[in-house]
Amino acid sequence: MIRYLRMFRAFAASEFQFEMEYRGNFYLSIFEMFLVIGTSIGAVLIMFGHTTTMNGWTLPEMIVLLGVYYLIQGGVNLVFSPSFERLMEHVRVGTLDFHLLKPVNVQFLVSTRHLRVVRAADLVLGLVVVIVGLLQVGAQIGVAQSLLFALSLFFGVMLVYSLLLGLVTLSFWFVRVENLLAIFWAFTEAGRFPVDVYPLWLRVSLSTIVPIGIAVTAPANAIAGRMDAVGVALLGAGTVLAVGIASALWRRGLKSYTGASA
Amino acid sequence: MIRIYRQLLVAQIQAAAQYRIQAVLWMLFSIIRPVIFLAAWTAVSAAQGGSVGGYTTSDFAAYYIALTIVGHLTTAWNSFEFEFEVRQGKLSPKLLRPLHPLHYSVVENLIWKVTTFLPLMLVCLVIALTFQVRWSGEWWHLALFVPSIVLAAALSFMIGWVVATATFWLQRINTVNTLLQRTSFIFAGQIAPLSLMPTALQVVSYSLPFAYVLAIPAEILRGGVTLERGLLYLVGQAVWLGLSIVAFRFAWRAGLREYSAVGA
Amino acid sequence: MDAPVVDVRALRKVYRVTERETGLAATLRSIVKRRYREVLAVDGITFHIDPGEVVGFLGPNGAGKTTTLKMLSGLLYPTGGEATVLGHVPWRREGSFLRGMTLLMGNRSQLVWDIPAADSFLVLKEIYAVPEAQYRRTLDELTELLELQPLLHKPVRGLSLGERMKVEFAAGLLHSPGVAFLDEPTLGLDISMQGRIRRFVAEYNQRTGATILLTSHYMDDVVALCRRVIVIHHGVLLYDGALADLAERLAPYKRITVTLRGTVGDLSTFGEVVSSGENTATIHVPRTQAGERAARLVRELGDQLADISVEDPPIEEVIDKVFTSERPLAEATA
Repeated sequence: MIRYLRMFRAFAASEFQFEMEYRGNFYLSIFEMFLVIGTSIGAVLIMFGHTTTMNGWTLPEMIVLLGVYYLIQGGVNLVFSPSFERLMEHVRVGTLDFHLLKPVNVQFLVSTRHLRVVRAADLVLGLVVVIVGLLQVGAQIGVAQSLLFALSLFFGVMLVYSLLLGLVTLSFWFVRVENLLAIFWAFTEAGRFPVDVYPLWLRVSLSTIVPIGIAVTAPANAIAGRMDAVGVALLGAGTVLAVGIASALWRRGLKSYTGASA
Repeated sequence: MIRIYRQLLVAQIQAAAQYRIQAVLWMLFSIIRPVIFLAAWTAVSAAQGGSVGGYTTSDFAAYYIALTIVGHLTTAWNSFEFEFEVRQGKLSPKLLRPLHPLHYSVVENLIWKVTTFLPLMLVCLVIALTFQVRWSGEWWHLALFVPSIVLAAALSFMIGWVVATATFWLQRINTVNTLLQRTSFIFAGQIAPLSLMPTALQVVSYSLPFAYVLAIPAEILRGGVTLERGLLYLVGQAVWLGLSIVAFRFAWRAGLREYSAVGA
Repeated sequence: MDAPVVDVRALRKVYRVTERETGLAATLRSIVKRRYREVLAVDGITFHIDPGEVVGFLGPNGAGKTTTLKMLSGLLYPTGGEATVLGHVPWRREGSFLRGMTLLMGNRSQLVWDIPAADSFLVLKEIYAVPEAQYRRTLDELTELLELQPLLHKPVRGLSLGERMKVEFAAGLLHSPGVAFLDEPTLGLDISMQGRIRRFVAEYNQRTGATILLTSHYMDDVVALCRRVIVIHHGVLLYDGALADLAERLAPYKRITVTLRGTVGDLSTFGEVVSSGENTATIHVPRTQAGERAARLVRELGDQLADISVEDPPIEEVIDKVFTSERPLAEATA
């Protein structure tokens, strides 16, 4: 376990050094994130200029949700997106072999090898937004609630991870998986609003096929006290299942790549 | 010139056939956001008893479907592609030819819109049925819409090209693009129909060109304007189009000077 | 006697390749029913390698060398047969196996292009869990042997092909493996760099006693490094033994190509004329007499001679010829 942490630290250090070479871009990215989050908050404010609730969500609660949205995005885009982008290239070019030569779990390697460290800023910004929203809500946030929040955040990120892993694994069999990924990214936009505002068919898809909806709404519910331990446990179970299925698909893909007869 | 365009058309249609799937995907991209905001406003409207500021749920649906169609028909991606072309060194050969690079992108743009129009209408139909839309317009709204959408598409196209010229000085214009996208997000009527925005922001919206690309044609299509208002809007669009063409000419010439100074 | 480091028995690999026909009808048909073609890449080969050996794995393109190496490094599952490397079954990919071996591919890079090699090395150090002291020692030694000092801190994409190859070598050997599989390590390199790499491999083997299995379609690689060669063609072993005997047996001749200013006459007195055009001709002469014959050609053709080259015959030609022809080539006329 420690060994895997040390490896991850080495990956992060290496990528960070590279990003620091292009310091200008680094700071511009942070500025852009400020812009994006700022305008998103503006959008919510404009909407709530006409109402006090949206499907039962108050303004501060919506702010918290928005913060969670950027937290989840940041988490996924920090590690998994850059790593999976490279993976698809590896499969296409044939350099995946080098990963297979390493005495390390290949799924770990392809999922965490590359980072976009600047996305950590998204995490910080998202957390700030969440805290601002919570302050407005004014309720007392206990330790238990914070724990549930953290847990459901983790589950949310892992849910999105499992979907990404599943999609990327398809590139063993189909060459142009980028298109599928593009559809996925388009759908993630829907996470900026609570999943319950959408019509049923969209709500269901956003909780299962493209789980961004539930990934964002669940933690927001948790911190607002609307989701209890049982709910989080169920979410956790669903996440474990999703990751399990995606990992199994991954192993199947790898077997196919290395020519193992089924 | 017509002959040139005909040739370009043929070439582009062949190229487009290769990228059918990507084209449809892009289209999906452009409809997700309006659908999301429609759902949100429907929830707001429900919380307020069925209507907000003169917009019923059905009005919202009409507006956002109109916005989807307008958004699609005014899509322009030169501000991204140009940077890519310059980096790849593909601009110089184009500059050597007697045809302004802009014309290639005109045809490209039109072809994409044509090939993806049918799937778009299908999707809009689905949305319309889901949200029970009701169209409250007159025939002359549609008549007004035709010049409006042409002006809007041209305007959006020119704005894209003006932004693209920033590549001559900045090489990487990702931040500029983001800046523009977010400004358009707020002030082009994507978050809300213009009349629902706080007054101060409305003023800004009408002073910037973005609303003239999206919100205004959408309102016309939806049937939410009087004849006088509609005609006034058309004038506004024409004015902004003229300004953008002038700005582009200026920026392009200055940019080319910069480009050849640096070394093509 | 030590157990062999590499022990291969009746190893077999069959690829299933989907058959793609052209035309609309065929494409539609393929949606319903896929047609497969079986490609026999490796057809039951057997050999073993003892610790410390440097063995050359020779054969033309598509002979099955790379497929064999991939199976021995655990990248591919075989269709039949067995193999062990360092006592492990490679395709089980056990940790101790992977830590003890390395595979270097001449035409593929494992280093991240945008960062200096030194940074990639640090990541590899963690991946292989190399203790700090050992890492320092190994890196110093490799830096010295490969003259890496000026290359380590530049982004890899800024290095020339030869420099990149050196750095790739170092990357592959940082964890001091006991077995190194080198797949076409000198591919695309210029002559002097080829020589440097070969010297490095020989030195490395001497210093560390690592067992090396090297594939190439360049005869020179093998001649420089290997006392023993295994020749493979069409997935079958054609020869497994001392290099000295191979050279004699398979390529007892050299190929002289001349370009004349006028038309080509009868050159059969110089050797076996295998082809001739209007101004050019290719002659096969016995290896030991190549220099002498070439000198004769220069002397006797004089002004007529525009260009002359003396080369080893390409390995494809040699292998093909020897094992499919009836007449042994050693009998080229004097």
